[in-house]
Amino acid sequence: MTAIPQSGTYINFFEVKRGFMSWLVTADHKRIALLYFYAIMGFFIVAFGLGLVMRLELIAPGATILDPQTYNEVFTLHGVIMIFLFIIPGIPAIFGNFALPMLIGAPDVAFPKLNLISWYLYVLGGLLALSTLLFGDGPADTGWTFYAPYSVKTGTNVTVAVLAAFVLGFSSILTGLNFIVTMHQMRAPGMTWFKMPLFPWALYATAWIQVLATPIIGITLLMIVAERTLGLGLFDPALGGDPVLYQHLFWIYSHPAVYIMALPAMGIVSETIPVFVKKSIFGYKVIVYSSLAIAFIGYFVWGHHMFTSGMSGPARVIFSVLTFLVAIPSAIKVFNWVATLYKGAIDIKVPLLYALAFIFQFAIGGLTGLVVGALATDIHVHDTYFVVGHFHYVMFGGTGFAFFGALHFYYPKIWGRMYNLKWANIAFVIFFIGFNLVYFPMLVLGMMGMPRRYYDYLPEFTLPNLISTIGSWVLAIGLVIMIVNLINGRKGPKASTNPWQSVTLDWTHTQSPPTLYNFDETPQVERGPYDYRNYEQYLKEHNKN
Amino acid sequence: MKQIITIVLISVSLLSFSQPPVKVDTATNLLGIYEKLDEYVPNDVMFTTEDGELVNFKSLIDKPTVLTLVYFTCPGICSPLLDGIADVISKTDLELGKDFQVLTVSFNEKETYQLAKSKKKNYVAQVKKPIDESEWLWMVGDSTNIARLTQSVGYQFMREGDDFVHAAAIMVLSPEGKVTRYLYGTYFLPFDLKMALVEAQQGKSGPTINKILNYCFSYDPEGKKYVFNITKVAGTIIIVLAVALLIFLIFNKKRRVHPANQS
Repeated sequence: MTAIPQSGTYINFFEVKRGFMSWLVTADHKRIALLYFYAIMGFFIVAFGLGLVMRLELIAPGATILDPQTYNEVFTLHGVIMIFLFIIPGIPAIFGNFALPMLIGAPDVAFPKLNLISWYLYVLGGLLALSTLLFGDGPADTGWTFYAPYSVKTGTNVTVAVLAAFVLGFSSILTGLNFIVTMHQMRAPGMTWFKMPLFPWALYATAWIQVLATPIIGITLLMIVAERTLGLGLFDPALGGDPVLYQHLFWIYSHPAVYIMALPAMGIVSETIPVFVKKSIFGYKVIVYSSLAIAFIGYFVWGHHMFTSGMSGPARVIFSVLTFLVAIPSAIKVFNWVATLYKGAIDIKVPLLYALAFIFQFAIGGLTGLVVGALATDIHVHDTYFVVGHFHYVMFGGTGFAFFGALHFYYPKIWGRMYNLKWANIAFVIFFIGFNLVYFPMLVLGMMGMPRRYYDYLPEFTLPNLISTIGSWVLAIGLVIMIVNLINGRKGPKASTNPWQSVTLDWTHTQSPPTLYNFDETPQVERGPYDYRNYEQYLKEHNKN
Repeated sequence: MKQIITIVLISVSLLSFSQPPVKVDTATNLLGIYEKLDEYVPNDVMFTTEDGELVNFKSLIDKPTVLTLVYFTCPGICSPLLDGIADVISKTDLELGKDFQVLTVSFNEKETYQLAKSKKKNYVAQVKKPIDESEWLWMVGDSTNIARLTQSVGYQFMREGDDFVHAAAIMVLSPEGKVTRYLYGTYFLPFDLKMALVEAQQGKSGPTINKILNYCFSYDPEGKKYVFNITKVAGTIIIVLAVALLIFLIFNKKRRVHPANQS
């Protein structure tokens, strides 16, 4: 069914077909994005709850609400769900799927059915991961890294957990392939590579990482299965294998995976800032190249996870230097975002607030990352709470905030309604304060020497831990207000088609909510993506009603 | 309908992944560390100290104790482990002798107490604060006593020629000789050790999540080439396919037309 506006009304993608089944067999990228949204939010809330439980355990020294073994399981599960089921797929699968075709002027992704299969694989992988809780010998107790040879010898559920990672990896590869082909072959006429908005560019760089790095975890899985079933002796030193090989293979995938988590978030920030500053982004091409550089250099820094695993001196120095190199393109982006704000007509709206929080927190995460990545200081803070604080600043303070920023940004496009802006601001402030209250004390605790991954601590660490736990409640209150506000927004006032006055195709040439194939006719692109000269006139000519 | 069937078929085929995993019989494949928390070291194992004195191991334990199992001629991980011990003794604010002691035992039955003494001298010199040297005891023993002690703490090693394949970790024992904590690796955080010793004093045991085993193993690059071949072959295939895809996409100028635009 085509959706052609008829006398001021049109049929949006929600209305094309109705019923539960129509969602389960849909090939529409926007519906698939929403399928991902509900699944990912479900997993996020579970893992967030586990995080709250852990913080509650750490409110005071000694066992308070969890016994030690349960604490270990809770924290492994928190990590696995957050990383594999929320942070990695979050932005690409939801907002990439939803916005990418519209941003480049396409009716859908290149392989719509493959897109749906990716979603099913995601759900299957998620369920497999959670099934380790219920069946067999209990959840994996290896931490999220499944280090061999321990993972080869220990509880059988490791196999299922690694299989889950494998299935999720497949989902990730297929999404990446889909995006690559979409961007190569489905851009609207006139949209050259350097007229493509920056969120698609970020997704493009990410997609290549997904396609190149993810198979490695698949091969590693096959090797673990071969080891467990055939006893080949690939990793197990008892059989003459090399346990360090596993660590290499794991981190060759998992470090680039960090950029799978970070790059799309950076894309969202690049997309948001010009809209609320009404100014072209500073250094468009440099941002594009830095995305590609991050994706490329990201492959060569895995060794910094293994400084303490026995590595030769020169190798350590080389990995340390490479780690510093990868910081450069990230820093360039931060500089460009700030430069875009300079002398802009800044309109402080909720999505911009999240983008600004991203810059602030990502900068802290990035700078503390240098401390962790530098050889000399890593030895000091290795395995302390400093590392926990660092990656939560990058992952949650960075990607997590970009995720919620994107949600607030695309909300009126997805549902055609507007949430309560005042409450959204209040939720943001509480969320922001809560976040920093939880994680800043962790950096301090790490410098004081508090070891990570333990349910208990010495009395001298009590105060920062107490602050951190109280912060977790503040964070939770912020999240609840945000979610309630967004749910109520569904019944809120109708949003105009382009409430943020953006000039990218997704806002100017489509309805809110969009029609099934997004565009009534294929758009012709003449302007750059962030060309805000005479934008009011331009919007008057192009905006849908 | 076709779509539903496709989805069901894919789901069913993938669900086959969730079949019960294969059980590994660890009894036939013993190497590494099999935690024996809350178990006690034997009452009657005997070792010779670096001064040549035969002592009952259990009788030495009257305070929280760090047990390190190494062999003195180890070409690999034992030296970093002992460096790690000397380092953490220097850094911790607990006092060796008053709050805890360290017992280093060789699991190579061929090593002598004279060798223990000379090795001890090296490592004690590395501690950067004055300590009571008698509280870091170095010991050797015969194979029976070694086996009884190492098995009681779940430490499994394997002889390979003159050397051993073994893991690196320290065990913390309570004043009653109960195993309360394992700390893995060769580098130890002062607060991690302090926590473990405080718990040991109270007799509380704690499981650990950080089970990253560091191994000392002899590796035969010639005999194990096929491992690298698997990774090399797979890596090459991935890169060739990716490059082929990129070339195809760059040179294939035909634009993909969506059904919506065909009409």
